[in-house]
Amino acid sequence: MAYLSMGEAHRRITDYLSRFSDAVSSQDAAVLSPLLAVSSNSASLQSLADALNVFQDSNRLVGQLERSSQLAEIVSPLLRCIQSYRLGRFADAYVVLEKAANAFLQEFRNWETPWAMEALYTLALEIRLLAEKADRELASSGKNPEKLQGAGSFLMRVFGALAGKGPKRAGALYVACQLFKVYFKLGTVHLCRSVIRSIETARIFDFEEFPVKDKVTYMYYTGRLEVYNENFLVADQKLTYALMHCSPRKEANKRMILKYLIPVKLSIGILPKQWLIEKYNLIEYGEVVNAIKKGDLRLLRQALREHEDRFLRSGVYLVLEKLELLVYQRLIKKIYVLQKQKDPSKAHQVKLEIIVKALKWLELDMDIDEVECIVAILIYKNLIKGYIAHKSKVVVLSKQDPFPKLNGKPIGS
Amino acid sequence: MTSQGVEPVVAVDSRSTEAVDVGQPHGSSYQSSHPGPQSLPSSSGQLTVSSSGYHYDPQRQMSVSGDTQEGINTASHASTSTNLGAENAAQAYSGYVPYSSSTVPYNYTSVGYQNSFYGYHLQGNDSSTQQIGGDQNSGAAYQPLSTFQNSGSYVAPTSYLGTYYNAGDNQTGTGYETNSYNYQTSLWNDGNYHSYPYHHYSSYTTSSTSSAQSSATISGNSLYYQQQYNNWPYYQSQPAPIVNGAAGLENTSATSLQSAGYSAEGASSGYPYISNQPPPPGTTSWREDSRPSGMPSFQGKEAVTPYHLNKNWEAVAPGMQTHHINQSSYFQQPLNSTPLPNEKHANEQKVLYSLAPNLQHAASNQVPENFQPPLQTVPLTETRQVSKMQIPTNPRIAPNVGVSMLKTQKESCIVSAATKPAYISVSVPKPSNQSSSEDDAGAITKGTFSPSFCAYVERSFARCKDDAQRSANQSILKQMITMATADGTLFTKNWDTEPLFSLPVDQSQQSLVSDSSLPTHKRSPTRRKSRWEPIADEKLGEKLTSVDSHSAIDARWGQVEAAEKKVDSKISESKSVNGWGGFKYASFQQQSALQKFGQRPNKKQRFSDTSSVTENGDPSSDSDKEQNLTKYYASAIALANSPEEKRKRENRFKRFEKGQGNQAELTNFRPKTAGGGSMYTRRAGALLKAKSYEDGCNKAVEDIDWDSLTVKGTCQEIEKRYLRLTSAPDPSTVRPEEVLEKALQMVQSSQKNYLYKCDQLKSIRQDLTVQRIQNALTVKVYETHARLALEAGDLPEFNQCQSQLQRLYAEGIQGCYMEFAAYNLLSIILHSNNKSDLLSSMTRLSAKAKDDEAVKHSLAVHSAVSSGNFILFFRLYKTAPNLNTFLMDLYVEKMRFEAVQCMSKSYRPVIPVAYITCALGFSKAIQMDDSQDTSIEGVEECEEWLRAHGAVLTVDNNGELQLDAKASSTTLYMPEQEDAVAHGDASLAVDDFLTRTS
Repeated sequence: MAYLSMGEAHRRITDYLSRFSDAVSSQDAAVLSPLLAVSSNSASLQSLADALNVFQDSNRLVGQLERSSQLAEIVSPLLRCIQSYRLGRFADAYVVLEKAANAFLQEFRNWETPWAMEALYTLALEIRLLAEKADRELASSGKNPEKLQGAGSFLMRVFGALAGKGPKRAGALYVACQLFKVYFKLGTVHLCRSVIRSIETARIFDFEEFPVKDKVTYMYYTGRLEVYNENFLVADQKLTYALMHCSPRKEANKRMILKYLIPVKLSIGILPKQWLIEKYNLIEYGEVVNAIKKGDLRLLRQALREHEDRFLRSGVYLVLEKLELLVYQRLIKKIYVLQKQKDPSKAHQVKLEIIVKALKWLELDMDIDEVECIVAILIYKNLIKGYIAHKSKVVVLSKQDPFPKLNGKPIGS
Repeated sequence: MTSQGVEPVVAVDSRSTEAVDVGQPHGSSYQSSHPGPQSLPSSSGQLTVSSSGYHYDPQRQMSVSGDTQEGINTASHASTSTNLGAENAAQAYSGYVPYSSSTVPYNYTSVGYQNSFYGYHLQGNDSSTQQIGGDQNSGAAYQPLSTFQNSGSYVAPTSYLGTYYNAGDNQTGTGYETNSYNYQTSLWNDGNYHSYPYHHYSSYTTSSTSSAQSSATISGNSLYYQQQYNNWPYYQSQPAPIVNGAAGLENTSATSLQSAGYSAEGASSGYPYISNQPPPPGTTSWREDSRPSGMPSFQGKEAVTPYHLNKNWEAVAPGMQTHHINQSSYFQQPLNSTPLPNEKHANEQKVLYSLAPNLQHAASNQVPENFQPPLQTVPLTETRQVSKMQIPTNPRIAPNVGVSMLKTQKESCIVSAATKPAYISVSVPKPSNQSSSEDDAGAITKGTFSPSFCAYVERSFARCKDDAQRSANQSILKQMITMATADGTLFTKNWDTEPLFSLPVDQSQQSLVSDSSLPTHKRSPTRRKSRWEPIADEKLGEKLTSVDSHSAIDARWGQVEAAEKKVDSKISESKSVNGWGGFKYASFQQQSALQKFGQRPNKKQRFSDTSSVTENGDPSSDSDKEQNLTKYYASAIALANSPEEKRKRENRFKRFEKGQGNQAELTNFRPKTAGGGSMYTRRAGALLKAKSYEDGCNKAVEDIDWDSLTVKGTCQEIEKRYLRLTSAPDPSTVRPEEVLEKALQMVQSSQKNYLYKCDQLKSIRQDLTVQRIQNALTVKVYETHARLALEAGDLPEFNQCQSQLQRLYAEGIQGCYMEFAAYNLLSIILHSNNKSDLLSSMTRLSAKAKDDEAVKHSLAVHSAVSSGNFILFFRLYKTAPNLNTFLMDLYVEKMRFEAVQCMSKSYRPVIPVAYITCALGFSKAIQMDDSQDTSIEGVEECEEWLRAHGAVLTVDNNGELQLDAKASSTTLYMPEQEDAVAHGDASLAVDDFLTRTS
């Protein structure tokens, strides 16, 4: 770091302070927001941090601010936060940032117009990002990473401040999305429920009123929640909405949406085109799709094993697992088709023994009882029309549409 | 009473002569008017029964009964107040009730009297003051009150129940005469008091109500206070002056009557009051002497009360006079009755103090006072004398008296040691006498009253080897007493547990005076020495400890009051006091006074509870403290449960027999003490924090030093029943780790049923938790319990263990991780069915874990369940490793039903039951051969099950049982579980348990 004179440091700090107080007094969020973006690594904030390292008595300068009593509570912890962040002490930075954010929220409540919404968004984001950094730091030093939790409760307070009547309510969805991010990260997704409830049931919110980007994010997260709940129809609906409204330039976001949308679609019998999988680099789904297409159970299991960690972490493992039945259906359909080619008159009677053999070719060792059970389940779940004649160990398929398509309905419906 | 004859003897004072005259008539009237038996029996009862109540009070002082210190004072006052009513009621309702009734007849003369009495009774502990206030307001009440005052004053000095009654009677008798006098006084009081009474009442009521638990003590306090405050113009004024006078005497410093009152108040455990008192002139000087810093703080805190006091004193010049008169009479009485007061330790201090110095002080005080209301004084004195007279006469009292006499003498000696050497000589020899007397007093004294302070003094003298030491001892004692009185801890301290000061004057002084770390002082080396050196007698040991705590407390008080005005600090102090009800109450009262006068009652109770609890929570908490606490509770709950008391004492003795363990504990703690913040300070701090946390203050939980609160068990019993803790654990019932290990082995090898094992394991777990032991043993215990719970189908218990195990494994403690990971998976898959839990659990599985047989099995079960593959499920069911079967057991019914539904839909036309038997795991065979062998085991069970679930069964041509799939598909249903229980978990049903586990 180049040498910084005391005078220069003083100038930088007072400059920052005056910009801050001007932004507040002129109610200019566009100016204010970057001043709050601690983790933005903007040059001005970095130089300010250097200045703060040199000039220790910044609080005195803060005290000279006009309206100092209100702003000082925001600015003086904020300055410390900027300083700590620059020094890489994220946990310390988080603590003071939360203080500043609380003071800011206090002020924000008092402002009648939502002019500072942008600045509040910035703070909400910074809080979350910094909390994550702080938790990483804490975890690496063997301490209890709890900052993200703290960020969650702070954001919940922000949400409470916004979720009311009045013009500020448009900002609620953004904060809700930040909350979702926190909760998903913490693995406490059940906490999302209260937020969702207040958004979806409160009459003060007109969903279309919210900014599109927030709506997309919101749909993405709620869609994911529905995937957890194996509520595939709703999940499909939400994720599709997210995908349709996602900015076409945000490839990464689209990919994230597709990561969940594809398994959902698969489980309701809709297979993606190969180009989609390739375009968004979701090749892990490629084999799954192939397995379903081919009725290759081994391939499916292989794919699941191979990408188990990824699927488990993203939470789609259980969904993909359930595709097995579709694969069985495909396999039996294939047998049926082959039989039909050979002898159309007897095609609707599939011997269980043949299925066992087919599975053996796939190197899957299943005895006849198990196969019988699986066929029974397929019939039970409406994947096959027909019945099992237990005595003769034969599946008797319906002559009409023995393998009904799901057509957008989940398995078992 | 027969004591009439004695009365003249007692009436040494000139005034008393008059009183004697009056007294005799009173006595006569008393007997005659009372259904003699009632009053007398009651009085006698007092000796015994009332002694329970009264003794109780003394006990408080003694620390035996914890609360009783004040109680004694109160007892005396209260007993006087039996007339007064509320006080008495509060203390010993049982005893009082009869008395009051008896008194009522007396009151015939004055209707107001009765009312007042009634009011007292009704009021019971708390409200009594208020009612009294009301009475005061009403003119009629005033008169009676005035009479009461007389009685009160009489009673108070004597503090003997019997005497009280007599006094009361006398009062009534005299009351007529005195009424006029009293009236005057009452008028005086009215003027002065009017404003006061209300304030006082409010405060009093609150305090008293709050103290409802330790109603006795509280009431005692309230009485004192009231008296002091003059809220109850009569009673209060009288007793207060009395008390004050006594206190003043005690103080021996240039205490005016006020100061005396002050001290008395303080002594009476009315710390708040004390604080209030500081404002009074007399007290100020006093405090300066004892604790310079403490004084101002008190004033500031309890400004309200002080005002009252001040007002009373200042404005109530007339009232004062009356009081003074009373006091003077009191003093005289004490002198006369010295033996008597001694009996009741409650009086102990005051009386003692008053004994020697009283004469002087009383005289001085009396002079001015008497002048103003000469008439009043005369009657008062008379009554007093009467009371005195009576006291000595009571035969039952006599033995006690003797003992108490000695004690009082000692005390007085101690108190006045510096001033009056004559006493010293007496006191020195007395210790031995006391001990013997104690023995003599035996059950009564012990159970109810052992004068802890006397004992303390005894002890202190006992270790004196020569005269020089004795004199040093005396001077120290004197200092202590002054301090204690100044602090107001004299009565509240647990002298039994107070460490003896070390003989070298410097140390003792230091310990006493030294301000900052009270806790450290407490456990300072001196105490130990004192504690363990002279132990020869177990009792002595006890007392020593109590004494130690006392001194410590004094020091603390000074500090605390001065430095910390917070309630918390006081609470902690009270804690340190070793569960002295009185002490606590005092602190509480202070708090209440400080914070909210009116609202407090309930809160106080809570406070006291919590504080006691926290106390118990102390790791080092000697059984002393706890027992005291429990005692305190017991006393509070059951007003007179001397048996309880005894039992606790026995326990204590036991503890001392086992002293080694304790000592070890102590030694363990010492090193810590030595290093920086002593254990005790730490504990105190932690307690404070905990306290404040409970109190709703915003201190973070993590700021609490839990380590310092951890219990170290001393119990050597291997077997222990599980009892959910409702209070802080008692180290003497907690087993240390070695013992717990044995206990675990015992459970593992036990042939008894699950209920027994569960109980034992829970108690082991509790002991582990309480001692915060988290190691391989903890894991082993939880694993053992989890397995047993699984085998018994006790899923709730299993879940508890499982969640603890997860935590323990996460902390890196070794155990059967795989086995329990498998259980965990299974229980999520089969029971909670929470997808995100399952996902996170599966995510956490390491590659190694996934290779584990049990975990693999669990994962296989998962896929079987998620796809509905019942064949696979029941195969896995048959081949489950470890105890996985038991977890799967709970899912079998559901799986079977689903399977049958599936089969009935997908099979046509029929399915052989034999096949179903195999498929659904009714047979033991793992592989089904599907032969038409109807002899497969389990077919009948399967058939029964199918029928129970609404399946339609037919028999085909071969005589083989078949399930009619089509028919069944619409008739299947899930039957109500026969063993369903209200709370939805059949495994919790005890009957079921017993059948399965025995």
